[in-house]
Amino acid sequence: MTNAAPLRGVRVLDFTWVWAGPYATMLLALLGAEVIKVESQGRMDIMRRMIIWPLFSPVPQQIPPNQGMSFGAINMNKLGVTINLEQPLGIDLVKRLVGVSDVVFENMRPGTMERSGLGYEELRRVNPGLIMLSSSARGATGPESHYAGYATVHHAIGGASYVTGYPDGPPSTTFGDVDLVNATAGAFAVIAALHHRAATGEGQFIDYSQCEGVSSLIGEVLLDYEMNGRSPGRQGNADELMAPHNVYPCWGVDRWVAIAVETDEEFAGLARVMGRPELAADPRFTDAASRKRNEAALDEIVSAWTRARDRDFIANMLMREGIAAAPSRDADDLFHDPHLEARGTFVEVDQPEVGPRRFVGAPWIMSECAVAPWHAPLLGEHNDYVFRQLLGISEEELAGLQRDGVVQ
Amino acid sequence: MSPGAFQGVKIVEYATMVSGPYCGKLFADMGADVVKVEEPPSGDPARRRGPFPRDEAHPERSGLFLYLNTSKRGIALDLDRPDGLEAFRRLVAWADVLIDNHPPERLESLGLGWDELRQQNPGLILASLTPYGRTGPRAQAKGGELTSFHAGGLGNLLPTRSEDISRPPIKAGGYPTGYSTGLTAAVAIAGALYGRRANGDEGRLIDVSEQEAILALVRTNVASTIYHGTVWSRVPERPPALGRLKCKDGYVVALLIEDRHWRAFVDLMGNPEWASGPEWGTLFYRAGHLMEIADRIAEWAAQQSKEDVHHRGAAKGFAIGSVYSAEEVMNYRQYHARDYFVEVDHPEAGKARYAGWPYKMPASPPAVQRPAPLLGQHDKEVLEDLLGYSPAEFDGLRRSGAPWKASKQ
Repeated sequence: MTNAAPLRGVRVLDFTWVWAGPYATMLLALLGAEVIKVESQGRMDIMRRMIIWPLFSPVPQQIPPNQGMSFGAINMNKLGVTINLEQPLGIDLVKRLVGVSDVVFENMRPGTMERSGLGYEELRRVNPGLIMLSSSARGATGPESHYAGYATVHHAIGGASYVTGYPDGPPSTTFGDVDLVNATAGAFAVIAALHHRAATGEGQFIDYSQCEGVSSLIGEVLLDYEMNGRSPGRQGNADELMAPHNVYPCWGVDRWVAIAVETDEEFAGLARVMGRPELAADPRFTDAASRKRNEAALDEIVSAWTRARDRDFIANMLMREGIAAAPSRDADDLFHDPHLEARGTFVEVDQPEVGPRRFVGAPWIMSECAVAPWHAPLLGEHNDYVFRQLLGISEEELAGLQRDGVVQ
Repeated sequence: MSPGAFQGVKIVEYATMVSGPYCGKLFADMGADVVKVEEPPSGDPARRRGPFPRDEAHPERSGLFLYLNTSKRGIALDLDRPDGLEAFRRLVAWADVLIDNHPPERLESLGLGWDELRQQNPGLILASLTPYGRTGPRAQAKGGELTSFHAGGLGNLLPTRSEDISRPPIKAGGYPTGYSTGLTAAVAIAGALYGRRANGDEGRLIDVSEQEAILALVRTNVASTIYHGTVWSRVPERPPALGRLKCKDGYVVALLIEDRHWRAFVDLMGNPEWASGPEWGTLFYRAGHLMEIADRIAEWAAQQSKEDVHHRGAAKGFAIGSVYSAEEVMNYRQYHARDYFVEVDHPEAGKARYAGWPYKMPASPPAVQRPAPLLGQHDKEVLEDLLGYSPAEFDGLRRSGAPWKASKQ
């Protein structure tokens, strides 16, 4: 027996857009599912034509539809079709696809699919074993189900921003990572539902709340309130037990190294590397508790040493001593990290219209999971395959659908 | 209680702290039979971490441990003793999945490297969660929550707005690295299990790196930087309409990109003349001029209450939300309306409401099947019921001092 991609044979109909949905279905594709992304000329994934800037930017944000690379990075290994959902024939076409699919995944506002006649109750009539996941800002039920949201707002509502920041500063959100982590949990729920269906034949509708997705990842923060009636505040880089445990300035502009010391042996190692072996015997620093008590003084000493040295030199010296140390890496650092290079973390795809592009591949290495990376689909790139081969639509019928603007 | 989606799946969790245990919890709460193996004398180091009731440290009352280990059975095994190791071998032979977040050298040194495990149990899925993965030049390097978060590229971007740019980049609060790594591994494991179930696959090795679990979440930022030349970094100032607003009683976060959202926001502010001219109607203009009215927006916000702005803004259709503390999350009406929290009664720590699951799965609902195990709580039932030790064998092991010896100290 030989292994192959584990989700082979699973077909996913993908109505997702922006970030929180598309990454979920890409993860399923990277495990071997056949993912068909449904868009139209009038309703395409807006990331196709966007450059994402951290600030409002005077640089034009709209680019040709197939060239937005934050789209390319989270839509690999999918098929792309164009169906106009505003036409009854388009809805019929979708239902035919639902009939041959296992999963529908969407992340529009609650109610949008229903208004198009594509709600779960409607679709399960076509396919009784269907698994459908709807991912929304705050879930499909409850008084705030209609609230709009983006990653940063979910982070705030979910309770994570409140604990992120300097101890003496304001709270901070993160970025689109919230969407991608919610996508990961959504993919997990879908595979779980596939297991349930394999055992019972039963499909189901999964209502996914992205705010709840944030809260589920800070379980211990919430328990502090339950146990002590207290809301934990912000800790910067600090840990409750370890010191040194911080990010230290290095030689150069905006260069930083993260160092985390767990044991006395590690601290002795750090002291040695710093050329200050006597620190290990300093009564202020002899064990974790005393180091934690004297953390400010310790941070001063470590900073004075790191400030005059190269970031990667420090990280390498400390790693050799068995101490956790890492540069605070930016995108360029990651793109050129020899370790990631050796692991094949970035994969190259031939992106039509723009050329070869290297994106982060699957976030795991799985033995015998033979899924070669390929480019995010052009708009409607796989109409022929999906409509002709998968649904068995004749050339004439397809031509008619195209003429009538159903398949655009 | 309806059976969870992973009912019948057998998992051994040889893992500490956050990543592996959260991974195990995800399956256990969905009905998998998860046996957590802890090493004496003190077990999972998460037991030493807070929050604790009344801040009194106690290994059976760690909020971190309690949350991450719901629905599991726990057994204390000293793998460095031959009889402890033998019990572990038999557990792994029983299992469909082994979740391990120790350096691979640990199991290899016990004669249980991947090749040996696979030989003994061809169906076994081994999920190996490590700071940098099992291959590559940093495979053996030590790492953890802080260093992997920064190595993976998310730390460098935080805090998103920094009044003093000379201060260091930070980790997000809590254990984001551990949780993300556990979640990532869970997707791969669930997939591999499905391959076994539906496609007749055999076991597999799944190699998950913390650094890559974080990098995976900033993949769009990386692509945007490399191919569009955008700069992602901490920035000293940021137009207040694209991020945090300070109200009189806390903060809100809003995102106003589309023109109609901007107009709705101006409407919320009462249409002040300084923001109402037609020139403000385009993103291009706002990009160039928003900072000029930043102080006035801040002045307006400072007089508002955050919940008022939050709900009135949301009613106008733009993305806005309050920055909620733990207390506010626990009292959040939307979560209560959705029954998000789940009450758990633990024999040592008592009753508390725990965070639930972001997915509602009516046909196979997740549930806390049992509270987190006490150290060694299920030694007898796991060894006798699962592994077929006779009561006499079990007693013999106990008298010989293993595997419980140290755990009872």
